Amino acid sequence: MGARLYPWKRPRGWWLRNPRYLGFQLRETGGVVSALYGLILLNMLRQLQVGESAYTAFLDLMRSPPVLFVNLVLFALVIYHAITWFILIGKAQPIRFTAKPIPWKTAFGVNLVLWLGVSGAVVYLIFGGF
Amino acid sequence: MADREVVFRVKRYRPERDAKPAYRRYHIPYRNDMVVLDGLNYIKDTLDPTLTFRWSCRMGICGSCGANVNGQPRLTCGTYIRDVHRGVVTIDPLANFPIIKDLVVDFDDFLNKLASVKPFIVREEWGDLTKEYLQYPEEVEAYRQQSMCINCMLCYAACPVVGASPHFVGPAASALALRYIRDSRDEGADARLERLNTKSGIWECTFVGECSVVCPKDVDPAGAIQTLKFLATMRHMRRLLMPKMASR
Repeated sequence: MGARLYPWKRPRGWWLRNPRYLGFQLRETGGVVSALYGLILLNMLRQLQVGESAYTAFLDLMRSPPVLFVNLVLFALVIYHAITWFILIGKAQPIRFTAKPIPWKTAFGVNLVLWLGVSGAVVYLIFGGF
Repeated sequence: MADREVVFRVKRYRPERDAKPAYRRYHIPYRNDMVVLDGLNYIKDTLDPTLTFRWSCRMGICGSCGANVNGQPRLTCGTYIRDVHRGVVTIDPLANFPIIKDLVVDFDDFLNKLASVKPFIVREEWGDLTKEYLQYPEEVEAYRQQSMCINCMLCYAACPVVGASPHFVGPAASALALRYIRDSRDEGADARLERLNTKSGIWECTFVGECSVVCPKDVDPAGAIQTLKFLATMRHMRRLLMPKMASR
């Protein structure tokens, strides 16, 4: 090739130029945040093992307004991650029980209902009794 | 007769005189039935014969007239001006490719990637070549969707992974690999999956899904890559668990 090619340069903020790119970035950030959430919960178990005062201090820290705010943001990202992944499940790996794969909307709906059911059961177990 | 006017803001790059690409504006009279390619041809025919762009069939079959129209990869022959302009239509060469001149980009890298997945029927024994290899309708249906690919490169322009990792084999080459893997006449699945099950292969895909959104032929390359991930995993597990039977 004799011509002087002008190389492609990815523009800064490329992910802000298309709402679907932004959605993707938020989804992936939500994945990292999910792992962070797990670490926080693991730390909670650790503090529980250390003793009552450590556990109480941990809970006090979690109740402080800045940490509550951070948790709220993390929670929103985790919810976004979960919902967008439920949307993707039927597209990522179409399930073939029949000749034609199950439509992604059906897969999304089933996952959503299961998720809400399990979440409701967990909330009931923790706050509702037994 | 055209009774309205639209401004085309076209990215120009002339390698013999420009250090970098820059936009140039053209005023174009248009009618409701004009597509972006008509506007580009109007510029070429009446305003500036030096404007360079690819086109051929004008009916969404040849796949050569792709460009970024208002930031979105599109076939310019299938994009009506009335649908995309708000006074101005911005036209860039397809993203993620080096520019040769104006709206013409260099596809060599894609062609190498495409060749690496063997986009043709592979057989160990061809048998009697005077007879047709007949297929049932359902066998054709298995690969029909991926066979619609016209190599227009819109999916590469839309894929942020291609932009970040130029070695990624990319959406169209992957979709075409699946097209031949699913062909009942083909015996090259193992070689293709070996190629795709690499660092520059399907595992680079993070499932942004934009390739399937912009595809003018509904090939769904994102879905094809997910299927290939499944097939590559099954192949790997078969080789791990049953090394003596390792084959397709």
